[in-house]
Amino acid sequence: MSDVLLQATGLRLAFGGVKAADGIDLGVMKGEFLAIIGPNGAGKTTFINMSTGYLRPNAGEITYEGSRITGLSPRAIVKRGIARSFQLPQLFAEHTVEQNIALAVASRDGIWSPLTPLLRPGYRDEARDLLDRFGLSAIAHARADALNEGARKLADIAMAVALKPRLLLMDEPTSGVAASEKMGVVETLARVLRDAQVTAVFVEHDMDVVERFADRVAVWSQGRIAALGPPQQVLSDPAVQRDVIGIERHA
Amino acid sequence: MAEWFQDNGLLLGLALLDGLSSAGLIFLVAVGLNLVFGVLRIINVAHGSLYAIGAYSAASIGIFLSGRGLPDWASIPTLILSAALVGAILGPIIERLLLRRIYAQEEVVQLLVTFALFMILEDVQKLLWGVQPIHHDTAMRWLGTIDVPFGADFIPFTNYQLFVLPGIAIVTLVGLAWFLRRTLTGRVIVAVTTDREAATAMGIDAAKVFLLTFTFGAMLAALGGALSSPTAALVPGIGAQTIVLSFAVVATAGLGQIEGAALTSLMMGLGRSIAVYFEPELEVVVPYIIMVLVLLVRPQGLFGVIETRRV
Repeated sequence: MSDVLLQATGLRLAFGGVKAADGIDLGVMKGEFLAIIGPNGAGKTTFINMSTGYLRPNAGEITYEGSRITGLSPRAIVKRGIARSFQLPQLFAEHTVEQNIALAVASRDGIWSPLTPLLRPGYRDEARDLLDRFGLSAIAHARADALNEGARKLADIAMAVALKPRLLLMDEPTSGVAASEKMGVVETLARVLRDAQVTAVFVEHDMDVVERFADRVAVWSQGRIAALGPPQQVLSDPAVQRDVIGIERHA
Repeated sequence: MAEWFQDNGLLLGLALLDGLSSAGLIFLVAVGLNLVFGVLRIINVAHGSLYAIGAYSAASIGIFLSGRGLPDWASIPTLILSAALVGAILGPIIERLLLRRIYAQEEVVQLLVTFALFMILEDVQKLLWGVQPIHHDTAMRWLGTIDVPFGADFIPFTNYQLFVLPGIAIVTLVGLAWFLRRTLTGRVIVAVTTDREAATAMGIDAAKVFLLTFTFGAMLAALGGALSSPTAALVPGIGAQTIVLSFAVVATAGLGQIEGAALTSLMMGLGRSIAVYFEPELEVVVPYIIMVLVLLVRPQGLFGVIETRRV
């Protein structure tokens, strides 16, 4: 069990009558890319929110590297090495891409004097290195609100990677990205995360992306995990095809 | 129109000079209120109390130190240091003990709590300083006056009101803009203002940012009060007048724009001053007429942007 990085046990959370998590047991293995698929409203984002401290489960617990993290604040969880990205990229619009990344680098360090400049050499160099790895150097000085969706997604995830997480949870990293850009975005993402030895969990609706990049797939349905395993096995399961992929294709 | 200017041009010029100092004071208080609201999302009615306590404290400290031989030139730095002291003491106490408990509450609860704090601080102020007017104008007297030509005559203006108050407001405006845009701490404050959730996801300590911002906002309110103290006798009620005017500035300027707050303060200050010279009975309502007219045309304020709510 030492290969388990994050373990959810008996997670339950309901919003009114809707069960977003109804007894979830799920382990995320070190180094893997785990895709979570399922219809909208099934509870996929809720799992990310519970794992990162934005929501507290009604019951059950989540452990990270063997320590309980349920109930910790989002900031405390980030400090332990779990970062996240949101479905809508949360870039700071008034900042350039480079400033956004530098801000993430600085917030990871956490200590600075009140008059420290944002782009002091250490932060700037690290930001530039990350931009280079994500293939974003050409737009380093562009304002965040002027980017196309693919670049916004990558910049948003670059900010999360700047926090040097060991586990990264991404909520629909390809949603809104043009079909022609999608595979390029995911390939860049996968390469950077594998190089940095970051374990990744990502909620995804595009089955081509899942099939190509996920090591395992968890199918979330009505607050439960309906299937879990390698993509080829899970995605070819007739029940999954009927109940989930069919819905995805018509969503 | 040209005839009117010929007849009243000089008077208008004097009104504009008078309005500058008033605008400077309004800006200091309003920009603090704007900053606090932007980051903490709390409408702090007690901001007016911080202004009043800043004024009373500066006058008291000035009177105390003058009695012990403080040279007159030191009275201006004393005003600024008194304000910093008031903000540094009351800011953290209010944020830590009170506001921190109500961040998650509904806006109406937050408003009621800060209003209650305002009422309490008003009474504390009366307990400490009584209801008799207090006046300490060494700073203003030391700087003397300047004769401004008015037709064939000269009208004396105090250098303090003509240069010091607008000067400090401009230094504050430029310094604050530089701090928020160029320094890391400033950028972190802007990040928390823009998107608290994303800032937290990056591991930014929002609690520390809240404390820092509130303390700084409290210092600005106290600075406004301290700098106003040499210009008029201090009486109970100055906090209420100031907070209402500051709200008008923030609402008219829109959230998060410090240059916008400066320009709006200038409009309000000049508007009031022009009213005093030409239609004195309108002095009190001019700022609110400006506010209503602006909000009818731009509900988000002159410089504010409409925020879309994420779902």
